[in-house]
Amino acid sequence: MLFKLNRQVLVMAVSASVLLATGCGGVKTTSTGGEGDYPTGNIQMSVGASPGGSTDLITRAIAEGVGKELGVSVPVVNKPGANGALNAKELQAAKPDGYKIAVQNASLFTITPLAVSANEVVKLDDFDLLGGISQDDYVLIAPVGSGYKTIADLKKAGKNIKYGTTGVGTGAQLASALTFKQAGIPATDVPFDGGAPALTALLGSQVDVATIQVGDSIEQIKAKKVVPLAVFSGERIKFLPDVPTAKEQGYDVVVSQYRFLTAPKGTPDNVKTKLADAAKKTYATDAYKKFNDAHCLTPIEVSPDEVRKILDGYATKYKGQLEQFGISLAAKK
Amino acid sequence: MGGFVDGFGVVLEPANLLYCLIGVVIGMLIGVLPGLGPAATIAILLPITYGVEPVSAIIMLAGIFYGAQYGGTITSVLLRLPGEASSVVTVFDGHALAKQGRAGTALGIAAIGSFIGGTVSIIGLTLLAPVVASVALDFGPPEYAALSLFGVLLVATVGNGSRLKAVIAAGFGLLLATVGRDTFTGASRFTFDSLNLADGIDFVPIAMGLFGLGEILYNLEERHHKVQAPAAVANVWPSRADLRQARGAIGRGSVIGFVLGVLPGGGATLSSLVAYAVEKRRAKEPERFGRGAVEGVAAPETANNAAATSSFIPLLTLGIPANATMALMFGALLIQGIAPGPQLVTEHPDLFWGVINSMYLGNILLLIMSIPLVGVFVKILKVRPAVLAPITVLITLLGVYTVANQVFDMFLVIVFGVLGYLMKKFGFEPGPLVLAFVLGSVMETAVRQSLLIFGGNPMGFFTRPISGTVLVALIIVLTLPAVRVLVRRRKERELV
Repeated sequence: MLFKLNRQVLVMAVSASVLLATGCGGVKTTSTGGEGDYPTGNIQMSVGASPGGSTDLITRAIAEGVGKELGVSVPVVNKPGANGALNAKELQAAKPDGYKIAVQNASLFTITPLAVSANEVVKLDDFDLLGGISQDDYVLIAPVGSGYKTIADLKKAGKNIKYGTTGVGTGAQLASALTFKQAGIPATDVPFDGGAPALTALLGSQVDVATIQVGDSIEQIKAKKVVPLAVFSGERIKFLPDVPTAKEQGYDVVVSQYRFLTAPKGTPDNVKTKLADAAKKTYATDAYKKFNDAHCLTPIEVSPDEVRKILDGYATKYKGQLEQFGISLAAKK
Repeated sequence: MGGFVDGFGVVLEPANLLYCLIGVVIGMLIGVLPGLGPAATIAILLPITYGVEPVSAIIMLAGIFYGAQYGGTITSVLLRLPGEASSVVTVFDGHALAKQGRAGTALGIAAIGSFIGGTVSIIGLTLLAPVVASVALDFGPPEYAALSLFGVLLVATVGNGSRLKAVIAAGFGLLLATVGRDTFTGASRFTFDSLNLADGIDFVPIAMGLFGLGEILYNLEERHHKVQAPAAVANVWPSRADLRQARGAIGRGSVIGFVLGVLPGGGATLSSLVAYAVEKRRAKEPERFGRGAVEGVAAPETANNAAATSSFIPLLTLGIPANATMALMFGALLIQGIAPGPQLVTEHPDLFWGVINSMYLGNILLLIMSIPLVGVFVKILKVRPAVLAPITVLITLLGVYTVANQVFDMFLVIVFGVLGYLMKKFGFEPGPLVLAFVLGSVMETAVRQSLLIFGGNPMGFFTRPISGTVLVALIIVLTLPAVRVLVRRRKERELV
């Protein structure tokens, strides 16, 4: 008898807990639907690159701040592949509830489509934008012994210039190709897999010049191991105040890497506002400002509309320039 | 040398000792788990380092990096799961020894070799870092092209079965290396319009599938033919005879590892392969290799640890991170307000020497930890295959997932598992395939970069001192046997 009763109690307890569990699940679903109490759980930030790169480090810096601001955990998950397209497609397919967001690179939308096959192209319109983050600039450098100090010096050299870049479909490749074409300098593009190998090749004088990110080369510049010939930003940057832009030297080349915060299309407005506010508060912290300076990043913490305008502008401009000068980033295809 | 002595003062501060210990323990643990590498671990731990002194932070992160090299051996030997390209070669003889019940010998030799290789390399780093760094800069794409060609040709000789089958497997490995986006034109190759294949195939699913899963599937079939008892675990520690046998291999492996490790990219893998090939070539009975030769474990394990240590040279002396892990340490230093560059030694001598000297200590800690752990890990082999195999499969799938957080890679590992099973069944070895795959992508990039630099003229390879020497040596080695055969034939004809 006692045994039987116990069993009944047990069954009741089990069914009650099952009900409770499903009940809880129900409550959670409505709350993640974008009501006022967002966020109730972890927000995952995915990165379309391996750990250690600029995009990864920026994501981690923002994740820490946003997590503190919203009082939830913000785990960072690396999903490298296809210059970030793989991660972008996954984010695009994710539920638009604000629990999956990502920092994305402008080059994926403005430059990479000029170099890769159609199925790898990702469109900006497939995402909700949360705001701009920062600008990462490129610098054209030469070994210190080469005697080159400006782009004009390269022209005077009167030979075929071999230039290293950070890879096919990157801003480094675009900026160099445009510069050499406009200057009428015969040049050969030697792509490397990122900034470090390109810098190594330059230091060993395997290539004549190289275009890489400022953050990757600033110490070499300070140590006078390499000479900066030009930066490719619109205006001079504060990390290299004495280095003239390509524009100042007479070439219409403005190429930078922009990064911005994105969410899947259809994310509720109040969720977007909360995320954008948390990001803004993060940008205002000293720790984050220090991070930007350490990596030579210039803040571009602008509104989503502004981001769209900048990106659309560059996408059109690059496409037109490539056609105008007859340059193909996907050479010898 | 004042900085060097002060560096020990830095390391021996109790807090730094503790961080060094934490680092090597974490490193060893993640090394044991295949897939989860030091780069991912350091990325997760990065925020913790913000609140710590720069020197302590880097001492800990460095400990994770070289500690992982120790741990990686364990799964290679016991479960045939090489987590890194640089421990593929260890599998050949390490797993063979484990099957003979001599896993303890293999792990013990590997620990001793790793310790000596690591320490020799740190001494090299202490004395020669700036010199070596400038030599490393002379290694451009043409030199990489020549070296990787040398590596690919060596691949065919490391196997134990038919030479023809090894060449076929290596050829297939080279073909697999071409999958993905062409890094020079952006064109997609063999990707079947799948974004998952756009960057090519990762090393981990291939190695885990062909070695780990393939072996398990093969053993399943074997069980129907004969009852397989778990190998009796004999001596846990290498005997004096084993040590004597491994002595030369450890010495040569240290030097090979130190030299090749300085080269960013495939340095560690190449050094383990070269060290193994050298030992096999020197051996009186080369047929012992692949069947449990002690030198076959000692050489690659010594070399890959030495290489791991010397891969710090480009970061510490030039400010160039040679791999993803180094890039993260670079980032960690930047956050601390220290920019690693050519001036690091003069501006922050305490950091430079503190980190280097912590490695002496870290290696000693790792050796001390390894001794009791070898005894523990070896017991894994006492577990019945019926229990061990499913756990191994689970660890494999989990590990592969952690590489890029993609389910696709888990399917890949299954595909390569079936391929590994079929290869073993038909007498092909996975080693040549995996190594050719790793070196193939290095070779393709280097050859094409070189040709761009030479303006399309292949003679450029021969006009540079280093690449020219390597290539001429290769041609001599390759043609010598053929010439010998011709000479012998002519003599025979004369006799007739």
